[in-house]
Amino acid sequence: MYDWMKKIHMYAGLFSFMAFVIWGVTGILAVFLPPPGEWRPPAITMQREFPFVVAENMDDKEVAREIYAAAGLTMAGGYYNVHRNDAGNLAFIAFSTNGQRDITYLEKERRVRIDFRDGGLGDFLSNMHTGHSRRGPPDLSSRLWGYYNEFSTWAFLFMVLSGIYLWLATRPGMRWALILMSATATATLVLWSATR
Amino acid sequence: MFRLMRNVHLILGIAFFFYAMLFALSSLTIIYRQWLKPLRESQERTVQVNPESSRTPRALAFELMQNHGLKGELRDTKQEAKEIRFSIVRPGTESTVIYSGSGGEVKIQTHRAGFLETLVSLHTNHGFWHDFVPSNAWSLFSLLGSVGLFFLGATGIYLWFCHDNERLVGAVILALGLIYSLTTLVLSRLA
Repeated sequence: MYDWMKKIHMYAGLFSFMAFVIWGVTGILAVFLPPPGEWRPPAITMQREFPFVVAENMDDKEVAREIYAAAGLTMAGGYYNVHRNDAGNLAFIAFSTNGQRDITYLEKERRVRIDFRDGGLGDFLSNMHTGHSRRGPPDLSSRLWGYYNEFSTWAFLFMVLSGIYLWLATRPGMRWALILMSATATATLVLWSATR
Repeated sequence: MFRLMRNVHLILGIAFFFYAMLFALSSLTIIYRQWLKPLRESQERTVQVNPESSRTPRALAFELMQNHGLKGELRDTKQEAKEIRFSIVRPGTESTVIYSGSGGEVKIQTHRAGFLETLVSLHTNHGFWHDFVPSNAWSLFSLLGSVGLFFLGATGIYLWFCHDNERLVGAVILALGLIYSLTTLVLSRLA
């Protein structure tokens, strides 16, 4: 039992190593994210336009759906905030793993303009760390990453529990380890109580 | 050296055990949320405050925190004429406060998430800008835990490498994991 547990603990960690690196980076960067309401989207990095004619009997939501499909945005997981901008044009936002895309339908010109606001590597990794088998853009690479990320989450849970087993199976009487465990448990309980 | 690394690995593993469980369980809650029945407790109550000391959202929030057991940070403040509305939020619990501005009667609706959803709130809690001190403490745990994850990984790799009979199989598994993950990451970034 012990030998197998140790083997699987090791293999799970080796296979999921990159996921742990991404989670670690994301966790550190998250501490420095701005508070709610102070986040600002990145600057426009690229613009693209294409002609688009809409049926006159469509409402804004239907037009947004048609434009989103026609835009063929990669790594995008849906569109939001369909509204009319100050110039009266239909505008909405699509969030991609690589950054925000501001989409505007220029009614008079009958053209769609897409402002690409590519985020940095930190934003990208932060977005990727949330992926799992059913969440994230439909693109194949994102789906495959999602399976890996989800597997790594299970692997992580297994490693946490098997790590405790490996400790107790080999060195149950280790005094400093028991003291550290008690201290950690106490600190967590105190913090939990203060929060709840 | 092996003994030292094994002890460092163990120290980190124990020190971040509860933090790691929090993140593992909350991540699984997020992934399988559609199959989990979210537990949520709602409560509504009315309390009496001193109208003189409750003329602004901040003053009223302070009064409620001092004398009526509310704790958390003040958000979404709105004041129209005499009416005051705001939320007092902490991980897993949100209280919506409505005060008509006269009579000193304040309506408080409190929504309290279950255990797993509270873990999710703690998972997504970040930054040291919170007015609610425990939220900053959880953020500190997040930061330390994330740094600890690197050291756990590094010492884990060292410990694996010291097992001569596991080197080949381990190297294949590590390589497979790296190739798969890096390929999908790079393709996603370039897409």
